[in-house]
Amino acid sequence: MAADENNLADRSGRLFESQKGYDPRVVLFYFIIVALLIVLTSGLAYQQLFNAELHTERESSQNQRRILIPGPRGNIYDRNGQLLVGNRPRFAVILYLDELRAKFRAEFIRIRKNYRAADDKDIPTADQLWTLARVSVVQSYLEQINAIIGRDIKVDSVRLNKHFSRELLLPYPLVEDLAPAEYARLLEHLPVVSPLQLYTTNTREYPFGSAASQTLGYVGINEDVEADNFPGEKLRTFKQRGSIGRDGLELKFDSLLQGEAGGSIFRVDPLGYRLRDAKPIESRLPTQGQNLVTSLDIDLQLAAEAAIGDQTGAAVAIDIKTGEILALASKPDYDLSKFAPRLGHADAADITAREAWTNLAIGGAFPPGSTFKILTSIAGLRRGVLDPTKPIADCQGVIRIGNRDFVCDNRRGHHGEVLLPEAIAHSCDIYFFGAGRLISPDLLAEEGRRFHLDQRTGIELPHETSRMVIPDPAYKEKVIGEKWFPGDTANMSIGQGYVLVTPLEMACFAASVARNEVFTQPTLLHNPDAPVQHTESIGLTSTQRAALIEGMVGTTTYGTANTLNLDLFKIPGVRIAGKTGTAQKKVTKDGKTGNINFAWFICFAPADNPEIAMAVMIEGETLGENFGGGRYAAPVAGSVLKKYFEKKNRPADQKLAPFKIE
Amino acid sequence: MPKRFDQARPFLTLGFVVAGWFVIPTVFKTFTRASFFELTAPVGVAASYARDLQEYWTLRLHSNSELIEAGRDLARLNASYDLAVQQNIEMQGEIARLEGILRLPSYTGYQSEHARVVRRDFSGWWQRLTIRKGKNYNLTVGAPVVFSGGVVGRVSEVFAYTATVDLISSQTVRLAAVVEGDTRPISYQGGLNPTFGSAGGVIEFVPLDIFASANATKRLVTSGLGGVFPPGLTIGSVIKVEPSTDGLFKSGTVKLDDRLAALTEVTVLLPLDTP
Repeated sequence: MAADENNLADRSGRLFESQKGYDPRVVLFYFIIVALLIVLTSGLAYQQLFNAELHTERESSQNQRRILIPGPRGNIYDRNGQLLVGNRPRFAVILYLDELRAKFRAEFIRIRKNYRAADDKDIPTADQLWTLARVSVVQSYLEQINAIIGRDIKVDSVRLNKHFSRELLLPYPLVEDLAPAEYARLLEHLPVVSPLQLYTTNTREYPFGSAASQTLGYVGINEDVEADNFPGEKLRTFKQRGSIGRDGLELKFDSLLQGEAGGSIFRVDPLGYRLRDAKPIESRLPTQGQNLVTSLDIDLQLAAEAAIGDQTGAAVAIDIKTGEILALASKPDYDLSKFAPRLGHADAADITAREAWTNLAIGGAFPPGSTFKILTSIAGLRRGVLDPTKPIADCQGVIRIGNRDFVCDNRRGHHGEVLLPEAIAHSCDIYFFGAGRLISPDLLAEEGRRFHLDQRTGIELPHETSRMVIPDPAYKEKVIGEKWFPGDTANMSIGQGYVLVTPLEMACFAASVARNEVFTQPTLLHNPDAPVQHTESIGLTSTQRAALIEGMVGTTTYGTANTLNLDLFKIPGVRIAGKTGTAQKKVTKDGKTGNINFAWFICFAPADNPEIAMAVMIEGETLGENFGGGRYAAPVAGSVLKKYFEKKNRPADQKLAPFKIE
Repeated sequence: MPKRFDQARPFLTLGFVVAGWFVIPTVFKTFTRASFFELTAPVGVAASYARDLQEYWTLRLHSNSELIEAGRDLARLNASYDLAVQQNIEMQGEIARLEGILRLPSYTGYQSEHARVVRRDFSGWWQRLTIRKGKNYNLTVGAPVVFSGGVVGRVSEVFAYTATVDLISSQTVRLAAVVEGDTRPISYQGGLNPTFGSAGGVIEFVPLDIFASANATKRLVTSGLGGVFPPGLTIGSVIKVEPSTDGLFKSGTVKLDDRLAALTEVTVLLPLDTP
């Protein structure tokens, strides 16, 4: 035993290595390791302290996704608070594809297994299998919907793939525009917690269909919804489609009507699927855009449109004191409800074929015909070349000016030596040929420019034409390259030749004459506290003005617009001051060239204390057809005026209070 | 070492059990769960019968005069109900005639199955009743359940002799409702209700022209459009509506009938034929 212990003691010395102290080579490694640690720590510190923002940004862009949802547009009202354009909810069933990752995978495996089990040599590629799996899963959800609402809808695989690759985090609409009964059935039959959900979007609603269609305008799809002051601009963003104004007030006031987009920011996994049960990092609800109160009165608008009927033309009614437009009708028009949610190709082609896109009240320039005689009268009276008590011509139906015969009422007019009021009431061309000659074309043009008839009115609508013309010799020389002839003066004095105006301009002109001023600024915005407009006075003496008004009242009582004396249009206690006009324009229709007529009527009422002014233009359809303003245009104004005074004379308790958006 | 193993044994056992539970087929687990409910159900049912017996003997303690008085009251009530039934028959005839003229689809017919409440289970997450009828009376999942005050909820699970009813105060119940006098369907869903507080729900997609407040409540009723509940059954009172930021709809709060928390008997409506 003792010997064993000794042996162990001897051998134990070999079991342990003795430490010889620090080996310089090992010490060198210490330094190297320390140096490497310092480099590593410094690198980490550098990345943490100086590149933190960059890494945060990269992490966010990789792991976060931003969803933007457009806000509904604001409503558009008429001056009495009647809704003209609103928003209609559209109920849809949607499927959150990003919650179906596990189901897609399971279906992918099942389909692949089936192919393999069938020993099919033609196994689809992985991409094709994924597509099949997605379509199969989505179709199974769609079958649930079909069973509940009794439809037979199939999955559109192209649309599904597109949505999956580009808009994974956005809800995939399975069925859109559900009927109320379908929506109700789904409410009760779908589980509350499910990737299938009921969802609402919105689209424009037009309670009055085609009323004021070109004035109100329409909206189109906005692919680029923006959310001001919502974080995550640099993140990958999924945007739901919004709407943007394309014409009319919708376009002009798009920034006001446009709602504020809402949105959410979610965390996603590396494949882009939303993390399960993840709450949004940021979230904001969309808000509706501001409402717009127009100056339109829908009752007058409907009356104007009904009176124009199937004819081509325009009618404008304006509040004389404020310049607010009460009605702005243009025919042919289009049904705005066809634009919601979007206009089909066939409907668009139909509108194009009917030439219904243009708002003729502001977008069409037409010769004003004899309505221009009011301007000729004013110019003559102001220049002192016309005296209401003295005749200036003897109308026998025709007069020779230069080397051409100019006729009055197709040679039927035999007005004799008429005075200014009768000349206006009977629209005697011979009288105004003489007046034009006495005034001179330059002064006549100057008067037209004084009434702003040579320029746009500046109404809050897009596409107001700039083709209006108040010609003078310099204009003809410059544009046509010809000398001005006496016949041109004769034509101009009766609103023919080169004169071109819009119906809106003529309505403003009528309002200005009613106010005894030279300009009326039209507006489509309603302000219950709007002040009375005041511009430069026309500058007629009271006698001159009385003669002018007498002539205009005569037009509607015994003159060319005496149709307004019919019981159908007669307004008790209201005298209407008006002027008819019929202008011709050479056109080529169906291979034939000839004149079509434009029937005009401008007016204001009551003649003694004017409130409302109107201009109506109806375009003739048949070449060479006699198309008088008294017969075709005046009744339109008569209908609108009757409606206006009918509303005005309602008992106080049936009247609406002035409408304001709070 | 053996001592440490002994100490860890309970945890290991638990681990094995949990791991075993995970690998057991779903069919077995479903069977076990159902069996548990089926086996415990008789206890609840027995307790319910005991309560009924208790109530019976309580009633037996009333004097003859009290019972006679109660009998008279009941006779009067029966008379008034008979009258109401006759009026209803007339009105139903008129409705059928009008529906025929307008060619409207008729609503689903229902068979009523009255059931005693065995148990009430109210938590913050769900609010349920267990009733004393199940497959033995052909009850089906999803069937509407009503009481004299209106809607109770929907059958969510059916067992051999019992069934579970999700109350309308539960977040898992959603109905297509209408505000009385209006025809546009809106969404009603149970709210997040406290266990012992008064129950409520929320309504969404309410048209903008509908107004209600605590002082001017509106009655919320079933629309009948959803295909589950017949129309006109009271859900509750709308006590608040306020517009949403998107300006399209309003959302609001509904106060439910306080009697929902103390129901002893309900009626399950079984559709006579599926539309």
